[in-house]
Amino acid sequence: MLRGAAVRAALLRAVRGAPGRAGLGRAVPRAEEEEEEEEERQRGGRVPLYPGHIPTTPLQKALLAAGSACAALWDPYRHDMVAVLGETTGCLALPKLRDRMRNDPEGYRILQERPRIRLSTLDMARLGGLPDGTLGREYIRFLEDNKVSPDTRMPAKFVDDEELAYVIQRYREVHDLMHTLLGMPTNMLGELPRSVLPTDPSDGFWPIGIPDPRPREVHGEVSSIPVPAPLSSVICEVVVKWFEAVQTGLPMCVLGAAFGPVRLNARKLQVLATELLPWAVRSGRNASCVLNVYYEQRWEQSVESLREEIGIFPPPAVCV
Amino acid sequence: MAAGLCPGRALLSRRGGALWALLGTARGRAAGPETHFGFQNVSEAERREKIYQVFENVAEKYDVMNDSMSLGIHRVWKDILVHKMNPSPGTLLVDVAGGTGDIAFRFLNYVRSVRERQLQQKLRHHQNLSWQEISKSYQEEKSNPLGDSQVVVCDINKEMLKAGKQKAQHLGYSEGLSWVLGNAEELHFDDDKFDVYTIAFGIRNVTRIDLALQEAYRVLKPGGRFLCLEFSHVSNPLLSRLYDLYSFQVIPVLGEVIAGDWKSYQYLVESIRRFPPQEELKAMIEDAGFLKVDYQNLNSGIVAIHSGFKL
Repeated sequence: MLRGAAVRAALLRAVRGAPGRAGLGRAVPRAEEEEEEEEERQRGGRVPLYPGHIPTTPLQKALLAAGSACAALWDPYRHDMVAVLGETTGCLALPKLRDRMRNDPEGYRILQERPRIRLSTLDMARLGGLPDGTLGREYIRFLEDNKVSPDTRMPAKFVDDEELAYVIQRYREVHDLMHTLLGMPTNMLGELPRSVLPTDPSDGFWPIGIPDPRPREVHGEVSSIPVPAPLSSVICEVVVKWFEAVQTGLPMCVLGAAFGPVRLNARKLQVLATELLPWAVRSGRNASCVLNVYYEQRWEQSVESLREEIGIFPPPAVCV
Repeated sequence: MAAGLCPGRALLSRRGGALWALLGTARGRAAGPETHFGFQNVSEAERREKIYQVFENVAEKYDVMNDSMSLGIHRVWKDILVHKMNPSPGTLLVDVAGGTGDIAFRFLNYVRSVRERQLQQKLRHHQNLSWQEISKSYQEEKSNPLGDSQVVVCDINKEMLKAGKQKAQHLGYSEGLSWVLGNAEELHFDDDKFDVYTIAFGIRNVTRIDLALQEAYRVLKPGGRFLCLEFSHVSNPLLSRLYDLYSFQVIPVLGEVIAGDWKSYQYLVESIRRFPPQEELKAMIEDAGFLKVDYQNLNSGIVAIHSGFKL
């Protein structure tokens, strides 16, 4: 009985592909479709969901995660590898983050409106003209001092969901604002006149915006002028990473937080472990989700009041 | 029934067929006939542009990527090509799509060592040489170590040539080497000029392979040899599956991790699949006028060396 059905099916197929259509019957388009299917399969079986999306198979994602982790450890300046690591390992944390955004009114609005922090969307002149201590002014100061631009952030490539791709993009663009909010500028040497610089640039540590009342010995002369000392960029990045790890739960932040301090000397490690990291973790736990803040509408707000609103504790005054 | 199906299949087997062209006009492109870029269908002009950009992007990391993708085996393939060529001193070689100079450097090393051996043999055969004759022969070796052999490296991409020149400087190659910007489909050399024409891992990127083969025929001297080293088709089914798995899963990842460029390496593996297999390429070479055309599979067909003579 079954064999009869199979034979009939084969006959039907043969009839459909009859030479009546000049031999261009079903068999030929089907061969093309098969080839296309094979190509689709080899491309990860999906079509791009957003501009710049590269669909990947689970095996490719695993290889990418491993490879980018090695590349990032080998050469810490490979920011693109850090980005890829974040995308390929964020499959659990990103949906949670997106849900936290959806459940908050401001976060929900961000997900709807999809604002981007870019040179083309920011009015740099206006922000630079805001009073000191406001979010806009301090953010511009951070960008100028470190000679970074918000446009250097890599777009998401390997996230297989369009909304999650936006979430990780938002996280990247908000990273510089994290530095500003936490008071962790990575380099302040550009701001100070040469004569008041301490001899050892990696010596002192003082967050921006908090006057240092201690008299400092500078170039052999005791000066009572409050001198914010230059800051070590690695310490700042590690502190921000710890904060972000607690806030977002992204594996890339956790890895960065764990491996970041590896190359620091004992003194800096001690400062990190005793003062900065506990503060970062406490703030991270206490603060509401930093992605739920519509920063573009709060440029005029002062950094301190924004810190209070979010729940970030004031940065510790650290002496080295 | 089978006879009825076959012509249809033949019509649509070339990707630039009528049906695809019909579908393609919906996109409104009219710059030349349809061809392929990896697994996409594009016009010829667009394909040339895209391929130029691919090599512009990969030029700096080209050698590193070759080593990591082929686990260094590409060096062995290129050595085998030059050994097959077996050039003698005085050979004039044109290496088309020669990019970073791998074949050119191997050629120079080979003729230099052949020349040294020649001079040593000459010394050994002459029993009673005067001091003047001996010193003259050493001078000959020093003044003409290559025996007038020359190689012209020709590539369509400025970045690849730049990378090649830097490498030559770094490795100390200066004599007998020249770098020319040119298109394999339209070479600016005179007819009957070269003894050997090589194209290693380049003919796959040429848009009109037939034109490139015709140009190769034109610039070779009578008696000259055409050698083509290129990725080809693996017939062994198990090896083919492993090769596909490696190509599609690992190579783009390597491209992203090492060179920061997924798409160029995705193009690379797709273009290998689109390239004609061994017998088809052999037929194309014969169509251009070459005789005694043959091919040698390396690594079960992952790579093949095609050879032909202008007689």
